[in-house]
Amino acid sequence: MGFISMLLGFSGFGIGVSAGLIIGYYLFIYFQPTDVKKPDIRPLVERDSDTLQNMLSEIPLWVKNPDFDRVDWLNKFIEYMWPYLDKAICKTAKEIAKPIIAEQIPKFKVDSVEFETLTLGTLPPTFQGMKVYVTDEKELIMEPSLKWAGNPNVTVVARAFGLKATVQVVDLQVFAAPRITLKPLVPSFPCFAKICVSLMEKPHVDFGLRLFGADLMSIPGLYRFVQEQIKDQVANMYLWPRTLEVQILDPSKALKKPVGILHVKVLKAMKLRKKDVLGASDPYVKIKLTESKLPSKKTTVKHKNLNPVWDEEFNMVVKDPESQAVEFQVYDWEQVGKHDKMGMNVVPLKELAPDEPKTVTLDLLKTMDPNDVQNEKSRGQIVVELLYKPFKDEDMPTFEDAGAVPKASEKTPPGGGELVVRVHEAQDVEGKHHTNPYVRILFKGEEKKTKHVKKNRDPRWDAEFKFTLEEPPVNDKLHVEVCSASSKIGLLHPKESLGYVDISLGDVVHNRRINEKYHLIDSRNGKIQIELQWRTVS
Amino acid sequence: MGFVSGMFMGALFGISIMAGWRYMMRNRSRNRAAKAADIKLLGSLDREDLKKLCGDNYPEWISFPVYEQVKWLNKQLSKLWPYVAEAATIIIRESVEPILEEYRPSGISSLKFSRLSLGNVAPKIEGIRIQSQKQGQITMDMDFRWGGDPDIVLGIEAGVSLPIQLKDLQVFTIIRVIFQLCEEIPCISAVVVALLSEPKPRFDYTLKAVGGSLTAIPGLSDMIEDTVNSIITDMLQWPHRIVVPLGGVPVDTSDLELKPQGKLMLTIVKATHLKNMEMMGKSDPYAVAFIRPLEKFKTKVVENNLNPVWDQTFHLTVEDKETQYAVVEVFDEDIGSDQRLGIAKLPLVDLQPDIEIEINLRLMPSLDMLKIKDKKDRGNIIVKAKYHHYTKEEQDAALAEEKKMLENKEKMRNDGVINSTMDAIDDPTHVSG
Repeated sequence: MGFISMLLGFSGFGIGVSAGLIIGYYLFIYFQPTDVKKPDIRPLVERDSDTLQNMLSEIPLWVKNPDFDRVDWLNKFIEYMWPYLDKAICKTAKEIAKPIIAEQIPKFKVDSVEFETLTLGTLPPTFQGMKVYVTDEKELIMEPSLKWAGNPNVTVVARAFGLKATVQVVDLQVFAAPRITLKPLVPSFPCFAKICVSLMEKPHVDFGLRLFGADLMSIPGLYRFVQEQIKDQVANMYLWPRTLEVQILDPSKALKKPVGILHVKVLKAMKLRKKDVLGASDPYVKIKLTESKLPSKKTTVKHKNLNPVWDEEFNMVVKDPESQAVEFQVYDWEQVGKHDKMGMNVVPLKELAPDEPKTVTLDLLKTMDPNDVQNEKSRGQIVVELLYKPFKDEDMPTFEDAGAVPKASEKTPPGGGELVVRVHEAQDVEGKHHTNPYVRILFKGEEKKTKHVKKNRDPRWDAEFKFTLEEPPVNDKLHVEVCSASSKIGLLHPKESLGYVDISLGDVVHNRRINEKYHLIDSRNGKIQIELQWRTVS
Repeated sequence: MGFVSGMFMGALFGISIMAGWRYMMRNRSRNRAAKAADIKLLGSLDREDLKKLCGDNYPEWISFPVYEQVKWLNKQLSKLWPYVAEAATIIIRESVEPILEEYRPSGISSLKFSRLSLGNVAPKIEGIRIQSQKQGQITMDMDFRWGGDPDIVLGIEAGVSLPIQLKDLQVFTIIRVIFQLCEEIPCISAVVVALLSEPKPRFDYTLKAVGGSLTAIPGLSDMIEDTVNSIITDMLQWPHRIVVPLGGVPVDTSDLELKPQGKLMLTIVKATHLKNMEMMGKSDPYAVAFIRPLEKFKTKVVENNLNPVWDQTFHLTVEDKETQYAVVEVFDEDIGSDQRLGIAKLPLVDLQPDIEIEINLRLMPSLDMLKIKDKKDRGNIIVKAKYHHYTKEEQDAALAEEKKMLENKEKMRNDGVINSTMDAIDDPTHVSG
């Protein structure tokens, strides 16, 4: 008897609970308003000390840390722009979601899924501080502290089997501190090729998820569990050192690196015009690539010959085959005075098919202007052979990315390697008599020099030097000296030293790449930035 | 236990669970809303708020200037500068050379860049201020300072070929950027750039002649200064502006552009007590009147007279009565270049519409107070001015007329009739509008 009554009791209890749940649901939850209200914001001055105490935990980083800057102007900007941003983002989101939904619906036998309301609310995200890091590398690092405590309202209504289910996301709060790195820096707008974003800490995410009106996230255990799950998922993808990379420009194009080699062979010239009064001319050819900072190349001089044969070969590095052209200028060599121009012509590189040698006979002209009257005189012709070889991916001069040190070229002896020294810039160098700084590098008796920069206390050279070595220079030192030379006549001190530094190379061999600013000895405040790389064959 | 009592207790239990759930929902919702409100407030603190928050431990290094500092932006800019300078060189050459050609003074036959490098020193932004003065527009004022070391060489042809080097460029100005908002990504449909006229933008530089002397062409440095000033005040300084529509979204920028607001009917009556610049006889004065340097009008020449009477009326277009002013310059006609006898300016802000007033202006050697070296009297000029505000139809007609006139001037310049678009129109009876 007791057992059956207990059973009855329990079953009654069970039914009662379910009935109670349903009644309670209708009583309390179903009639809750589903709209999202704009929060009532009372200014700080009106608040009492208790609410102020609560706020202290959310104090912006720029107040607490002097290395964070205030960006309230950016907050104002976003606030003004927010209504428009809201509409734009929602529209784009709807457009992106529509085809995906249309695809997925038939799989789940659902009648329709649509957004009943989609708005990001009235509260914009705010920046609680901005910090930048300055490094010696070619990159910009910014770390904004972002807090978005919004009041969005995203309601998705799914209809299936005659039932209607509403899922509503409200009160989304995301606090994150992403680190945005712009690198590498390139000389064409917008001046950086890639954006890398990564989070420094796990973000804080909080929201309300209402299913049929009941907020699932207010169930104590569930809320914590879901939060942790989301945090872990996001951390897996974006927590530093993992990054999200967005490429803006193609780095190899933007850096204006060479893409191929032009082989030029100057064969001969015919029927050149006599330029000298006595005897025949002494012609030679000067070859130059347009839009190139490289110096021009010259053939030998063929004395007293109006139909010279040279058969000489030259190689020129090409950066942009679409816009560059090769220029041939024939000169008459003179013992004394300026060499006379005998004729010229230009071949645009885009007329050359890659990897196909082409022999061309060019008429020598006075200028490339088709209307120039003086071009009607015949000045002879020149015969050249041109071959444009674009770099294949293996030959491409390696584009260095993220500190990866490229391999040495094939000429390096095994067991040894290439020491690459890049002199970037110096700061605060000052000479007693003059300041036209250049850098002298001494390594194992070999001396190399950079160009002079006139009258500059913060010179920038960006010069590169290579030393091929038989064995790693573990015990050697590199002597780097900043000197100044003045060309003024009559100075007592034509050359002077502005400071020097001796860099021990053991570190480079172990680390492969070191890029540092060194304080100069014998200089009051001078610093020089030197990058060293140790490249081996293996 | 009983079935019914069990059911009853069960129901009670279920209902209380639901009630409990609703209570927690409300709680959490309230917490979240409070946090959202807090964060919104903390996004725009000011001094009073911060004092209240921090109490005694108010950090001393915090300040709230009107123009917010952007130290982080300056750090990034100086790092990025070498690359920006290289990338900008091409764009500057392409966009500024046509402008130089348009504003070229008549003494110079060719004005182009022969070398352009922006140097190693990055510009600095001292502060930024954001306001929204009109619905759908955001106004950003940037305090821009650049003490750069650019290497700019202008190739100048004026009879002789003289390359001029522009060094030590110092720019101090406040740049106003107005963003017009729209509802499509990227939410900005057009950008308007102008230099605020208060405080007056300062463009200081030193000119050096390469392989020659600046005095080889007389008045050259003044001419270059004039050109630079004209370009700045006529193209960049408020109310003039540069409107850049951002691609992708077709937008009507016509209400952002500057339109003629009205016209000024200026009668140059006479001048008295002009200074004699000639060694033999007296000067041959004529007057030039303008508001915009591209729209200049000149009177007839009265020979050998230091108290000339002209009595000629010109109609000048006014674009912004509040900030613009009319300039009257008196020259002495000579063989060779004409000498300036005096210059005076008349602000338009105080003119009442459609009421003619007669004004006696004192002629000065220059409009720039800092350049006046001698205080000798240069005489007076008497003018009559009447301002008329345009109705919408008159405004549209004036816009069309302005376009036509500029086209005409271009044509005349290309045909060689006049030397430059800055020349004064020699038609004393010219009326416009």
